[in-house]
Amino acid sequence: MLRIFLQRCLSAIPVLFLVVLFTFILIRLAPGGPFDDERAVPPQVLENLNKRYHLDDPIHVQFFDYVKHLLQGDFGPSFKYPSRTVTEVIYAGIPVTLELSLYAFLVALVFGITSGVIASLKPNTLQDYVPMSAAMIGICLPSFVLGPLLILVFGIQLDWLPVSGWGVTPGDKILPSITLGAGYAAYLARLSRGGMLETLSQDYIRTARAKGLSGWRVVFHHALRGALAPVVSFAGPAVAGLLSGSFVVETIYQIPGLGRFYLQAAFNRDYTMILGMTILFAFLIIICNLLADLLLLWLNPKLRGRK
Amino acid sequence: MALLCVENLTTRFHTRDGIITAVDNVSFAIEPGKVLGIVGESGSGKSVACYSIMGLIPSPPGRVEQGSAEFMGQDLLTLSPGQLRRIRGQKIGMIFQDPMTSLNPFVTIGDQLMESLRVHKGMSKKDARKRAIAALEEVGIREPERRFNSYPHEFSGGMRQRVMIAMALINEPDLLIADEPTTALDVTVQAQILDLIKRLQSEHNLSVIFISHDLGVVAHMADHVVVMQKGKVVETGSADQVFFSPQHPYTQKLVESLPTTAKPYSPQFQKDDKPFLRIKNLRTEFSRQHGFLFWKKWFHVRAVDDVTLTLRKGEILGLVGESGSGKSTLGRSIMRLVEPRSGEVLLDGVNLTELEPKRLRQARRDFQMIFQDPYASLNPRMTVFDALAEPLLIHRIVPPSQILSAVNQLMDDVGLDRRMVRKYPHEFSGGQRQRVAIARALAVRPQLIIADEPVSALDVTIQAQILELLLQLTQKYQLTMLFISHDLSVVRYVADRVAVMQQGKIVEEGEAEAIFSNPQHPYTRALLNAVHHLKKTDAA
Amino acid sequence: MSTEAVDFDLNRLEKGRSLWQDAFSRLKKNTLAMGGLVFLLLLIVLAVLTPWIAPYSYEEQNLMLGATPPSAEHWFGTDIFGRDQLTRILYGSRISLMVGFIATAVALCIGVTWGTIAGYIGGRVDALMMRFVDILYALPFTIFIILLTVVFGRSMLLLFLAIGAVEWLTMARIVRGQVMAIKHQEFIEAAVAMGMSRPRIMFKHVAPNVLGPIIIYTTLTIPSVILLESFLSFLGLGIQAPQSSWGSLISYGVETMEEYPWLLIFPALTLSMTLFALNFLGDGLRDALDPRVSKD
Repeated sequence: MLRIFLQRCLSAIPVLFLVVLFTFILIRLAPGGPFDDERAVPPQVLENLNKRYHLDDPIHVQFFDYVKHLLQGDFGPSFKYPSRTVTEVIYAGIPVTLELSLYAFLVALVFGITSGVIASLKPNTLQDYVPMSAAMIGICLPSFVLGPLLILVFGIQLDWLPVSGWGVTPGDKILPSITLGAGYAAYLARLSRGGMLETLSQDYIRTARAKGLSGWRVVFHHALRGALAPVVSFAGPAVAGLLSGSFVVETIYQIPGLGRFYLQAAFNRDYTMILGMTILFAFLIIICNLLADLLLLWLNPKLRGRK
Repeated sequence: MALLCVENLTTRFHTRDGIITAVDNVSFAIEPGKVLGIVGESGSGKSVACYSIMGLIPSPPGRVEQGSAEFMGQDLLTLSPGQLRRIRGQKIGMIFQDPMTSLNPFVTIGDQLMESLRVHKGMSKKDARKRAIAALEEVGIREPERRFNSYPHEFSGGMRQRVMIAMALINEPDLLIADEPTTALDVTVQAQILDLIKRLQSEHNLSVIFISHDLGVVAHMADHVVVMQKGKVVETGSADQVFFSPQHPYTQKLVESLPTTAKPYSPQFQKDDKPFLRIKNLRTEFSRQHGFLFWKKWFHVRAVDDVTLTLRKGEILGLVGESGSGKSTLGRSIMRLVEPRSGEVLLDGVNLTELEPKRLRQARRDFQMIFQDPYASLNPRMTVFDALAEPLLIHRIVPPSQILSAVNQLMDDVGLDRRMVRKYPHEFSGGQRQRVAIARALAVRPQLIIADEPVSALDVTIQAQILELLLQLTQKYQLTMLFISHDLSVVRYVADRVAVMQQGKIVEEGEAEAIFSNPQHPYTRALLNAVHHLKKTDAA
Repeated sequence: MSTEAVDFDLNRLEKGRSLWQDAFSRLKKNTLAMGGLVFLLLLIVLAVLTPWIAPYSYEEQNLMLGATPPSAEHWFGTDIFGRDQLTRILYGSRISLMVGFIATAVALCIGVTWGTIAGYIGGRVDALMMRFVDILYALPFTIFIILLTVVFGRSMLLLFLAIGAVEWLTMARIVRGQVMAIKHQEFIEAAVAMGMSRPRIMFKHVAPNVLGPIIIYTTLTIPSVILLESFLSFLGLGIQAPQSSWGSLISYGVETMEEYPWLLIFPALTLSMTLFALNFLGDGLRDALDPRVSKD
């Protein structure tokens, strides 16, 4: 177990390295230098700028410099706003984005798994159709449609909940979390229903019922563990989706998170900012995938064995 | 007084293609301390009947329509779910066919055993553990303390079935329902499990309902027998009555279908007949890779280990062995469906192991294979005509204009209606599909047939027909056949000579009658002793 | 058993029902799936014919008119420039559907090829190829796509390639799983034993049997591609003005949703209806083609 654990962790390292390399090269491939669209900069100043940001070094030197700084948690300066470093912006934005994604993930887990399990207990009855129709709606209403609709209904028509900001007015975290989590709740509902139906048809469920166990015990003690495998393996991609989905939600609800800064940087062509944030997102997502992978291993006693 | 008395039980499945009556007005009873055998082929409703009583049929679509099941003064069919659960856990235990899938792979066997005790008896964890360990010990699990926290996948099939039995009996029920408990197991393991059930039955004065398709096993186990066909009980009586003087035509057919005798007719061989197929020092290994990147490790499993065999023209060699013995791999290595590591396979003087791909493809018309599972061995998207015409075309067996008559000839050969050639495999029954598969193998007019468990997926009555067909065809077309099977009686019925395989090696080889009447190797003897025949001669 | 020595006329024999026919008859009974199919066909026809049937010009502004709610002249209302909303949605459908189909086609080509090769060859090649897919799977692709649009500017071609390149991963996994499962079936061994060539086995025996899952998954990939494109266009990173797709229309509608809610509702409805239709069809196909369902 420990060895598999270490193996998986170690194999994430080259992936991270490749991501850094790939993004770095891509950014350097971008047509034109970072200061091209500035007001006509005298050649002397440009040279100084290049020197200041070490852009006159050979590219591999630049790359290893960058990696060296990265390892110390330093993402370098911003090209557009020399007064702010990328690190500062990231530190400002990341708690918000992580919090939002976490709430959305919880929304997805709680609503998704519950409704999926409930639906699977009585397939092809009302108890199945209602949550599954809701899930279908969740899948077909993307966050950039659901968000405005929620704002229209709960924010403007009913005036129940605030529709912008994060942690400013009480209750302003509810709508964004639901908006971001709903789609994934719908996916998880379908996945856990499928997993449950598959597991409930297994021979060992019949054994459990033959032992005279109650329905709840059969579901929770015997079926759920097997049924959750597809849910867990979806958790990695789901987190990736949540993080990038936060771009939209942060835009709609005007939340000062990483996603909004990323979009700003994208429109401003602030290359170091984009580079830093892409690497950070990649890092987060790879870590989440790793965790999901390890959880999956741990859930499966065959892989957990002492080999 | 009967312990369980089932009367007029009817169970139907309401599917979207219509209503299927799986159990039709079935009545039977079981006395305390006795074993009731329920025999029938697949689809006879024998399992559904028992699941209906226990409230275990999937519902919907299943529904118990009528009947009663009197058990210790209560009608099981009218009990509330809660009451029925108490009966299930405490008064009636069940074991199932496939021990590999019947235990929860995510829960340790200790927890699974203690669960019944804790739920039904409210035992403390400590007491439950003690009782569970005692139960494991009783069913013959060695070092139960150590194995207590193991997961099911760490046990072999036979051991898992023992765990299942321990679990079913842990609350000391009055009745044990055993649904095909040994069908998925090898013969020697089967014998041990049957002995275990018998021992526990007499020690605890248990009543047992023993459901099986295997007449020999039921005859060995049961005092009283119920024969079912298509949802109905066709005959009941004491085991002796039912098996040795069957009254109903279906029971008679079942008993007659058992391949209990030696091969009905045997070709005559001259002493100096030169070998037609010669296998020399054949070895096949499987390599498995474990780990990733820096921890790569290769394991080699020798599936076929230095096998040397010869077959004369027109001979049927039965290859016997238990699962994992390498018998199938040997067949596939001869076919070059797996590449042997070393050794030679000489077919009529041609070394098959040395043929390069193109020559091999051409040569394949001389040797063909019949597979075990007629549901998997036919392409579901091709009609029978296409399946039979394809080999004829590829090997240019007949000119295109004569394909139709050649296909018709094949259909006749295997006893299928010519008018069915445009149907798809899923429209045929298992036996018919196996006939199609045989016809496909015969299409290229091969000299050698390798039949890998060709009848083990079939019901006894169908099995008898297919065996008969194979014997006829080998005679008609002078085929040489390697007949691979785990079933000794089947091999005895078809083979001229027999080879016994264990752990990749041939441990014994000889004339069929010699092997069966006077086995030399201890493993062969163990195999033969493990088989339960209907001892017809005693009754006659 | 019949051994009559009569030769039948093959073409006059009763034909069997192939699994495809079975599946189609099951699909026909599924109202939701058929409804989805009809909706999609209608939408495709409308989108193709848009330049000829659109009631108004796409770009022509009528600032005098401004934003008007739905009326007899303008069924879906007009935007603040007085442009007919129905016309704009129809033109948007052309873009969104085109991206949906082309990017799915890209994903299909890469995914099927990759998955088939990995599954059919197996062994170390398979391990290596699928490890690559695993690694890519763990990457933040939406973010990479944004990065690409930043670096190379926004273009349709890039969008097709980028989205296609993301979506092929799941396709490759599914196809590989199917091929692996089919490859070990006895009828494939029987075909090898019969001496058939590899291409023949691939096309006659493997392909028809993996087609079902591919069809199902393709149907389900289209909506997720459309969604991804709308997502990017919503963020302003996809289709550029003056062209518009559903995503950019929605983002435009969101800005003014308090005053002119119809500018949000109609494009959002069109997008969601299309996603519903595709998902219903995909689910219906899954029910109809899944061998596990057809067994009993």
